Amino acid sequence: MKSRRESRSVVLLTMIAAVLLSLLPLPDALLPFSPYWVAMVVIYWALETEDMIGMGLAFLTGLLVDILSGSLMGMHALSLVVMVFLVKRFRYRLRFFPPWQQAISVLGLLVNDRIILIWITALLGEPMPTWKYWLAPLVGMAIWPWLFLLLDRIRAGMRQRSP
Amino acid sequence: MAHTDSSGSGHWFGEDGSRTARLMMYILLAIVLMFMDQHGRYVPRFRSAMELAFEPVFHLVGWPTKVLQSIEQKTRARADLLSENQLLRQSLLETAGSVQTLAALQQENQRLRDLLKATEGRTYQFRFAEMKRVTLDPFSHKIWIDRGVKEGVVVGQAVIDGLGIVGQVEDVHRHYSTVRLISDPDHALPVQINRTGLRTVAYGSGETSHLLMPNVPLQADVRVGDVIVTSGLGDRFPPGFPVGEVERVERDTGGTFAAVYMRPFAALDRGREVLLIEPQFLEPALQDEQP
Repeated sequence: MKSRRESRSVVLLTMIAAVLLSLLPLPDALLPFSPYWVAMVVIYWALETEDMIGMGLAFLTGLLVDILSGSLMGMHALSLVVMVFLVKRFRYRLRFFPPWQQAISVLGLLVNDRIILIWITALLGEPMPTWKYWLAPLVGMAIWPWLFLLLDRIRAGMRQRSP
Repeated sequence: MAHTDSSGSGHWFGEDGSRTARLMMYILLAIVLMFMDQHGRYVPRFRSAMELAFEPVFHLVGWPTKVLQSIEQKTRARADLLSENQLLRQSLLETAGSVQTLAALQQENQRLRDLLKATEGRTYQFRFAEMKRVTLDPFSHKIWIDRGVKEGVVVGQAVIDGLGIVGQVEDVHRHYSTVRLISDPDHALPVQINRTGLRTVAYGSGETSHLLMPNVPLQADVRVGDVIVTSGLGDRFPPGFPVGEVERVERDTGGTFAAVYMRPFAALDRGREVLLIEPQFLEPALQDEQP
């Protein structure tokens, strides 16, 4: 029971790190390339663990992102809940994909997410983003294997420390 | 397609069924929240309170950049500083010269206005504000500034930077406000061409690099390089502030109007500091009209 609580705190810590990372001020030229860190960490935990992250936690994280980024309340919450749902739904298939295939699936998830966000943007009557809008999912795909390894390493480290 | 799963939830609908049900519930909740944020009063209020509570987070996140900047400043070579100093001194001198003539011109203008018994010359007061944070969405044509109701910001106030018009205040909260940029496709700005005085309207294009003026007559005298200033019509933006310069004129559109593209002067996509124009000095004409 102890080790489970331990790894739950790892989940929360990595999520908070992802939220902070996405708020980090970047040079404006780099901004469109900044991937959706939170979503990628959410994908990792939903993929790799049975019940560490559910739709409830994803929803709350999304609300946090909404508050911090000044976007419409519930927008990122919706996006992350859908993300968790899709990963859990296809979890058994995704887990046994080789890394490159998994990266492509992640690209699919991130693009799907952008479609949801653009749909909300359109309903609000906000201006449509330019083609650069679609760069972030590509960057996300490119760094997915490395993020995966990093999070694996962090998890293994925590497991060793608290048997 | 029900997977056997040992997580224990979902006795009633099966694992997939209950998951779909929960998904629907959360989606509904999110939609209700979005709607309330758009139209209600409680969610925006809650958001304001939370933002105040999360203020330290922004300082934390902005900290690395600050450290980098201070390191850069400290390690700058002396030669660099000297040459920059030289440059600044030169530009100060140049500006000082033009400001002197400006003062003379202003006086002359005032005298002429007095002769004509026209409205008093307009003087403006500015309030400094800083862009508050980076948004997750780099494509939004909104910026947040760190001044709000408490500092006397009102909806509709014009926002400029050192180079030109930036936008207008759209929403005012306790300690911050949002500003709609002139590059927003829904934004229309009454302008005139400085050289000819031709009045028209500049619309945002959705890109910060240019604005559109679709209502300029085909035979109008517009040239590349013409400076566009605000016309002051509509009483939102004070007249005479630079907006941008004409970048391209397309006359072969086959329509009644030429398509004129303008490059905005203001640093819409990279500015950090802006000025708010104080509203009480904005509409002296309106105040005069009231009995």
